Amino acid sequence: MTQLVKNNQRVQSFVCSGCSLYCDDTQIVYSEKNEIIEAYGLCLKGYKKLNEIYSKNRIKKPLIRENGALKEVTYNEAFDKIKELIKNSKMPLLYGFVNTSCEAQIRGIELAKKIDGFIASNASICHGQTYSNVIDVGINSTTLNECINKADVFIFWGSNAADSHPKFLTKTIFSRGKFRITGREIKTLILVDPRKTTTYGVAGVRDLYTPLKPGKDLELIRFLKGKILGENSEIPPDGLFGIDREDLTRLILNLKKSENGIILIGQGVINADPSGTVVRALIELVDLINKTSKRSRFSIIPMTGHNMNGYIQVALSLVGKINQIEFSDNKLIESNIGLITKIMEDKFDISIIVAADPISNFPITMSSELIKKPLIAIDCFFTPTTKIADVVLPVAIMGLETDGLVYRMDNIPMNLQKIVDPPDNLLSDEQILTQIIQRLEE
Amino acid sequence: MSQLNFMDVYKFLPKTNCKECGLPTCMAFALSLVKGEKKPEDCPPILESKYKQDLEKLNELFGGEREGKKDLHIEIDTEKCDGCGVCVIICPVNARYCPNSLSGKQPDFPPDEHQLFQVKNGKSDLLNLKHCRRLEAEGRERECRVCEVYCPRDAIEISYYTAK
Repeated sequence: MTQLVKNNQRVQSFVCSGCSLYCDDTQIVYSEKNEIIEAYGLCLKGYKKLNEIYSKNRIKKPLIRENGALKEVTYNEAFDKIKELIKNSKMPLLYGFVNTSCEAQIRGIELAKKIDGFIASNASICHGQTYSNVIDVGINSTTLNECINKADVFIFWGSNAADSHPKFLTKTIFSRGKFRITGREIKTLILVDPRKTTTYGVAGVRDLYTPLKPGKDLELIRFLKGKILGENSEIPPDGLFGIDREDLTRLILNLKKSENGIILIGQGVINADPSGTVVRALIELVDLINKTSKRSRFSIIPMTGHNMNGYIQVALSLVGKINQIEFSDNKLIESNIGLITKIMEDKFDISIIVAADPISNFPITMSSELIKKPLIAIDCFFTPTTKIADVVLPVAIMGLETDGLVYRMDNIPMNLQKIVDPPDNLLSDEQILTQIIQRLEE
Repeated sequence: MSQLNFMDVYKFLPKTNCKECGLPTCMAFALSLVKGEKKPEDCPPILESKYKQDLEKLNELFGGEREGKKDLHIEIDTEKCDGCGVCVIICPVNARYCPNSLSGKQPDFPPDEHQLFQVKNGKSDLLNLKHCRRLEAEGRERECRVCEVYCPRDAIEISYYTAK
């Protein structure tokens, strides 16, 4: 939608790619010279992402490390160097792929298959485990539109939505919707978190804050399961797991009586329990509520980041699993080795990092292992990873300078369209990966 | 929404039960003040000089803008604000004039003339105060403080003072 306003300024609506919400209620104003001058409806996170277009930190030319320093080279030289590095390697490691489009993710998996590599995304250390459980037991999931129009209870389990997805609360809890016309007044917020996070700032009198002790998630879920099945055990006067008796009673009541509840699983659950037992128990709890209660209905939305759902969809459709994807002789092999074991036990000899910055995100023990081996980085900006890389390939920013398909946090596909042309005719992630595959075939 | 307790109001009244306001007791007058039916100036004895401090306190409680002495100010702390847009969605005036905000979406640009808040360049931006409920509405609605109460980062502050 484009409309002209005064002084030859042009207003255009676009889809923000700052987090996994992919807000489509945003507008940007172009000046006469086709430069973005103002943005409306964007949160600070999305606005900073938009400003990356004019960042001075951009990589515009391919770089190769020579005598300890990065030197500008042509694309041909860079691709030849990459070809040489990959040909000499036996166990390549591909990592990243979340902050990019599904097309590039497909090419990434194709490349991994071609070079007999191991591919992992940020999902491996995040919600990949959640969806691995979903493959086994299924999930009662829902969309954000249901949250807006029908939901009446929101349980944030280890999630601080106000910081991670700034407009999530605005969209779901504060919106009036079709069937919840008074909005905030009849939408109950329940926080299961040891700390009073920023999300606690919007809690009112009707809302519930349960300061669960760290590491007691599983015990609480088992206790709730018992109560839903009709167990008559008394709650001690001091409460259980750090939660007051009254609060616990209210939590059980909300689980039994809410018409359309949503449980939002955040990083607090994932990071504390990498095996995924708590997530599995939560999925089973929701299943139990839906089966036993006539009135209550619950759903789960994992609070993923960026295009993680896209990677999960792509990986599931191409290879059938999310983590531990390893190829040998161009075929998928059964493997139980995850990303962390792979890096810590030195089972790789070259790493290809696409749209990620593991050197600054990983713990020092893991990133120091990555530094020892040759590293190929494909990124838009200078990051700690590109600073130590042996070959750096510049790309355009997905969603702002190139088109791309992404999946929102509730598994809804969305098409991002470019709003400006990339500088120096930079290629997209997809085109770069396609060219690498073509060069390897030659 | 923060609501006034009528006992907090009662302690600033003369407590003489003179019935000059037309109500039987000062307690009843306090109740009608909280409901928004009466104004502090409707009590004749309180206008006397010896109750001057009490009248000031009451004017503070019920919004000192009535006399035209102090102006309403809604201030947004741009350091704290992260542009989440809760104020845009929750504001009842925005909800009435921008149908988008009912389904949790930010209103379209250019803004409606009644619109109070918009999110511009990642920060909340106050357009104008002309149509704020604290100035236009009647009765209890005049006590509206939703934007201040629901801001997750406490970045909004409603205050009354005379601009220098």
